[in-house]
Amino acid sequence: MRQVLIIAVLAMVAPGSASTFAHDEFRIIGTVARHQNSTLQVKNREGKTISVRLDKQTVITRDKKKIPPAELKTGLSVVVDAYGDTEDDSLAIEIRVVPPIGAR
Amino acid sequence: MPRTTQDGESPPSGEAVSVRALWTAIAWAFVVASAVLVAVVLPAEYGVDPLGTGRAFGLTALSAPALAPIPPPEGDALAPVPMGAVALYPGEYKFDSREIVLGPYEYMEFKYHLAKDATMLFSWTAGGDVVHDFHGDPEGAPPDAAQSFDTAARRRAAGSFVAPFTGIHGWYWENPGGETITIRLNTAGFYTSAHQFRYDGTRQRREIRALDTITADH
Repeated sequence: MRQVLIIAVLAMVAPGSASTFAHDEFRIIGTVARHQNSTLQVKNREGKTISVRLDKQTVITRDKKKIPPAELKTGLSVVVDAYGDTEDDSLAIEIRVVPPIGAR
Repeated sequence: MPRTTQDGESPPSGEAVSVRALWTAIAWAFVVASAVLVAVVLPAEYGVDPLGTGRAFGLTALSAPALAPIPPPEGDALAPVPMGAVALYPGEYKFDSREIVLGPYEYMEFKYHLAKDATMLFSWTAGGDVVHDFHGDPEGAPPDAAQSFDTAARRRAAGSFVAPFTGIHGWYWENPGGETITIRLNTAGFYTSAHQFRYDGTRQRREIRALDTITADH
């Protein structure tokens, strides 16, 4: 019976526990280093490579028009707005393909 | 031998019924909690939206922290005491002057902590087109409680500002293009601290200057 009560309490507490996670918004500016499945690696202007996750809701645009994820080719300049716990653990909300950006 | 009532019916088994009811209630609680977790809480709080309900109902917007939490003020708030046409403050005003460099597509927020009704004078110019939002975040309020005061497209502005509430007030500037631009900002006012929030998620408290750092001309 005690186990049952513990499970019940966990079930009721589970939704609230999600709110304990904090998340921040990040913008990652750089070039596509690699795109595989639902992960995009972007090399930023400081030379650091950052991985972001993509999901079905991630909006990808070029010249304000939506494009499919398959068009995110290596070497393209992108501006990624993402959020997550850290820059390296974030989900892309919007990815804009932009004209080439020079290094710093 | 089972007990019977006077009319021959067996009494209800109270313990057996309550255990079954408890199991049923637990199962339903688990199902409902799981559904709420996946469909509502995860999209709204964590931005995880496996069913698409967050986007469908606009819940994912709740999880997007567009505005950083308001840092605590530094020192005593400089709240004005109105005396007719004059407002007196318990301390001297501060001033600040800086250049803000925005690389291609970068953005930054620069804000000052002001008490309600405290005044700030400002002047800024940008070396190119910028997306601009002069706004304030009330102290102690959730991040989405920010109020915009001026979002008109402009490359420069100069004016005075009286804080409508205690909190941090200042500018969001975004470089929408591929060329680096520089923004020159000058302010003076009864603020107690300055805060910088960059596009990469970094936040810094920045120095402001007191009047005694000015050398008087003779």
